[in-house]
Order: sequence, then C-alpha cells, then structure tokens
Amino acid sequence: MKKQWLSITLGIVTATGGFLDAGTIATAGEAGAKFGLGLIWAVIVATIAVIMLVEMVGRFSAVSKKTYAEAIRENLGFRFYLFPLISELIAESLMLAAELGGISISISLLTGIPWHTLFPFVAIGIWILAWRAPFSLIENGPALLGLATLAFIAGIIALGGVPTHLFPTLWHPDFQQGTGADYLYLVAAILGSTISPYLLHFYSSGAREESWSTSSLILNRVTAIMGMGFGSMGAIALVVLSAIVLQPLQIGSSTLGELGLVLAKPFGVIGTYLFAIALFATCLGAALEVLLAVSYNIAQGFGWEWGEDKKPAEAARFNLVITIFLLIAVVIGLIGIDPLKLALFASTVIALFLPISLAPFLILMNDKQYLGEHTNGRFTNIVMVCILIMALLVAIVSLPLEIITGGG
Amino acid sequence: MKNPGQADSMEKLDEETFSIRDILDSQLLTSDGRRIGRVADIEAEVDKHGTFRLTSLVMGPQALAGRVNSSLATLLGFLLRDRFENQIPISEVKKFGPTLELRGKAEEYSVGQSDRWIAQHILRWIPGSGI
Amino acid sequence: MWKQNKFWQQAGTWLGLLMLLAAVTACNFTQSAFAQTANNAGSAFAAAETTLAYEHAGKITPAYASSSFLSYQSELSGTDQSLISQATGDKRTLHRLLALYMPAMQVVNAPCLSNSCNWQKQLTQLKNASAAFNEAGS
Repeated sequence: MKKQWLSITLGIVTATGGFLDAGTIATAGEAGAKFGLGLIWAVIVATIAVIMLVEMVGRFSAVSKKTYAEAIRENLGFRFYLFPLISELIAESLMLAAELGGISISISLLTGIPWHTLFPFVAIGIWILAWRAPFSLIENGPALLGLATLAFIAGIIALGGVPTHLFPTLWHPDFQQGTGADYLYLVAAILGSTISPYLLHFYSSGAREESWSTSSLILNRVTAIMGMGFGSMGAIALVVLSAIVLQPLQIGSSTLGELGLVLAKPFGVIGTYLFAIALFATCLGAALEVLLAVSYNIAQGFGWEWGEDKKPAEAARFNLVITIFLLIAVVIGLIGIDPLKLALFASTVIALFLPISLAPFLILMNDKQYLGEHTNGRFTNIVMVCILIMALLVAIVSLPLEIITGGG
Repeated sequence: MKNPGQADSMEKLDEETFSIRDILDSQLLTSDGRRIGRVADIEAEVDKHGTFRLTSLVMGPQALAGRVNSSLATLLGFLLRDRFENQIPISEVKKFGPTLELRGKAEEYSVGQSDRWIAQHILRWIPGSGI
Repeated sequence: MWKQNKFWQQAGTWLGLLMLLAAVTACNFTQSAFAQTANNAGSAFAAAETTLAYEHAGKITPAYASSSFLSYQSELSGTDQSLISQATGDKRTLHRLLALYMPAMQVVNAPCLSNSCNWQKQLTQLKNASAAFNEAGS
C-alpha cells in the first residue's frame, strides 16, 4: 500500500514531463508575452480535459490490465490502430527533437556552449537513460528537478503579485502585439501541447509497469488531479510571469533564452539557474516520456515484449524501436530549427491529429468486457464527447493557421 | 465499421464464428510468459459437414498488410515471398481471450524469433544490452 | 467496403470545405507578411536589448547572455532579405528599417558582454532598431 501511494510520483513526473514540456513552456511563454492573461482560459480548459483523459486511461489500464495501445489494436483492429500510430509517429518525432533541443538549450544557458554542439551529447545521454535506467529512476529523477517550476510562482510573488491592470486581459486579450491568427494558433498549440497522446500512452504503460489494479483507482484519481494540477499551475504561472515581465518590453518570446528573463528580473542570476533547471527537468522528463511512449505504443500494438525494467535483450524489438526512433528525432533536430519554434510547430501538429488519438476513448471506456462496473458514467461520457468536438474544431482550424502564420 | 480488415474474414466464415473477432489481433503469450506477437490473420477449412473450422493463426508482415489493403499485401508478397510469415496451429492455444495463452515456450515458436535475432545480431554489440 | 469509402469521401469533402472556410477567415485575421517579419524582428531586438542590459546589471551570467545571443542571431539573420522581398509600396519605411538593421545586427553578432567596450552604444542601437521594427510591425 505504501508503495502504491509512493507511486503518486508517477503522476507528478507525468505532469512535469507530459504537461510541462518544451511545448507548454513555449506556448505559455508566448501566450503571456503576446496576449497577457488572455489565453489562460485555454490552459484551464486543456487542463480539465487532460485530467479527465488521464484518469480514464489510468482507470482503464488498472482494471483491464491492458494498456491503451493494446486495447486499440485488440478492440478496433489493426487497420484502425495504424491511424493514431502513424499520426503520433509524425507529431511525436518532431516533439522529441524539440525536447532534446530544449535540454541542449538549458545546458547552453548555464555554460554558454552553443546548443548545436551540445545536441548530440544530449541525445546520447537520453539514449543511455532509456536503454538501461529502471522505470522508477525515469519517473522520480525529473520529478524532483521539476520542482524548480515552483520558481515561476515564487517569481510572481517576488514581483508583487499580478498587477491589476492585467486582469481585464483575462477576458479581453490584448491584440496589440499579436493578431487574431496568432491568437487562434496559440489556442491550438496550447491544446496540443497539453493533451499529448504520448502522455496517455506513457501513463497507461506506467500503470502496467507498476502493476496497478482495481485497488489503485483512488490513487489514480488523486494522481491525475494532483499531477496535472501541478503542471497546470506551473504553466499558468509562466503565462502570468511572461505577461508581467515580457509584454511591457515588447518581447514576443520567440527563443527559450529570452523566456528565462522572466526569472532574471525578480531573482537575478539565481533566477536564470532556476529557469535553466526547470527547462532541463521538464524537457528531460518529456524527452524520456515521448521516446518511451512511442516505443511502448509500437511494441504493445504489435504484441512484442516490452518494459523498462527488463534488460534490453529481453525486450529486443522494443529497445530497437527506442534506438531507431531516437535516431529519427536526432536527424530532425540536427536540421537546427530553434527548439522553441519546433515545439510550437509540433504542438499544432499534435492538435491536428488529436481527434484520431482520442476517438477510441469513447468506445473503449464503455466496454464492459474490459472495465466491468468501472465503465464511464453518463457525465464522463458527455465530457468526453465535448473534448472530442473541441479537438475536432481545433484540428480543423490548426492546419490553415499553420500555413498562414508560417508556423508561429 | 469497427474493424474493416476483418470484414472479409467474416464473410468467409459465416456468422456462427463469433469468436473470430476475439481471436484476431489477440496477444500471443507463451507458457514462459513472453509476449511474442499478435494474431494477424486466421486460416480455416471446410470440413465434410460444410462447416468452417479454424485451423491456424497466421502472423507476419504479409498477413498484416492484407488487413490494410489487398494490393499492399500483393506487393509485400512479391517482395518478401512468405519469408517472414508464420503459422501456429489452433491446437496450440491453451486459453482463449484477448490474450491467447499458448502451450509451448517462446523458443518453440517461429513467431517472435526476430526478438532473439535482434538481440544476438544487433543489441549484443551495444554495451549494457544484458546478453 | 464501397459504402465505407463513400462515407469517407463525403467526410473528407466536408472537412476540406471547413478548412477552406477556416483559412479564408484566418486570412482576414492576419497581418501582412512584411508587418509580421518586422514585428518578429522588433521583438527579437527588444529581447537582445534586455539581455544585454540585464547582463551588465549582473542579473544574468555572461554565459547565459552569449547563449541567448546565438539564438537571436539565428532568429534575426536574413531578416533584411525577407523585408526586401516582402516590401510592398512604401520604400521609405523599408530603407529606414534596413539602415537600423545593419548596426543592430552587428551588435547581435558581437555583443559587448564585458566593460572593456562601449556597450551603452550597443544598447542604444538595439533600442532604436526594436522601436522602429515594432512600429512598422503594428
């Protein structure tokens, strides 16, 4: 029982890595810099959606002993399984490259070494962790470092709280520095970066790696709310901070380094260290999560042996997928696109494919064969339909926006 | 609608074979607890009473391609020439369900041998692979 | 099988139409390419200015500043070419921006992070550039 409650850290790392990642930091920073508090509503809506989804996928895996990917293949067939798989491969490889870039930038900000130089070494480090680190280390390490995101909240307090003149931007966003297209683009990006499919695959596989059962359901609910809530708090704090510090300076937050200035203003050099550590932790957690989630997804969908606590030779195909997928992301990263831009772009690509990844929820979560008495209630189903409709609308809007705004 | 790929198999096999849907895409688990793959297709025969009987489970890239698109299956068939296709007789299945439990150990089946091949030919060159 | 394909065809058509609609609406929502480029550059120059000022105020380390400036460099390089190709009509604004771009870009390429050089002047150059670009972008 104690071990079960300890595994609440699963939720917190899933949050720091899955909720707060390069994508969220990029979107939250840009949202605050361009529109004040005008996009906080999108963060909150996305948070509620992701809490519901994570709770569902955790409940599903705890009760049915099946992961999300396994259930999609078994219940909806191979042909359907390919749709979310392929779309996630495209979107998540971009996202993984952005996370690796984010880690490189964080080290670069501490050392002054150009991030392009650091990138290959970061990739090797990630590979070593994914290759041999046990699941518990991947889970707990970044979670502890992720506490540095609390600095965003401390920063707001140190700067004297939220200035009153910002409050009207909550419902009447400031369009001076941005345009309507930018605004909608950011709404899509916030949704895509918050509700990432990799988060769901990682969480449901994590529940299996930790052998959750029906008795874990309360734990699951607490983890979903606390973990995602923690992540959301960090994201909202960053929006606010960036609205306080960057907006008056007319800085649009288009690189990660300038985003760190939000902590340099209240805390000086220590603030930049905190920012770099927070960036490092969230991107590290997210990079591992994306990498593992995609490999879990493939191995489970094809019925191969999988698991982080196994030696690579015991789950050979799974570990080969990890290596190949990481190589693909490295190739994308070596093109040299700024990680923040790449993260924004990847987030909108995720938003574009989100309906495909989420559609199976409606069917699977109401399947008594898998869930017995733990199927979705009427309320949860209604919320799920709303989430799907929202995802569909955002997906329809995001593609043309992608083209018009030139990716941010 | 739910599973386009299996529509064809359904037609072949009549309505009474309700379990086809449960068998297709099921996880194959060996007696030593290893996950070796998933059922891509099935083979059936008509016995003398005119009823269909499942004979074996089929695994492999060609069988999978057949689930997606018939011309893709033809193309893969031309390229791979059945080299990676595997079959397991239905009598090997100890327990049916979303997970099919097999009677033998992992090494007794040709399915999932790629796991061993990858471990021995690729992963062994990488430190820490556990071989 | 055939019925299914027809369903998907119809769904695809509707989706395409909706996207087209979204694209048309978004077009009316957006700035010109020139304004957008100018805006982005103005924001990056402003970031560079603040970074330089913070570095000399001791709020960030020289390492942090030089790492940030590398990003500004890749963000800003080629802006002059984009502006020239995107300019429509008003040549005066273009020339004014280009005249400010050159010295400011030199600062971004070689920011003065110690006290041995005239960083105050660099600061002014960045400030002028960011103000002009932001104005042109709004």
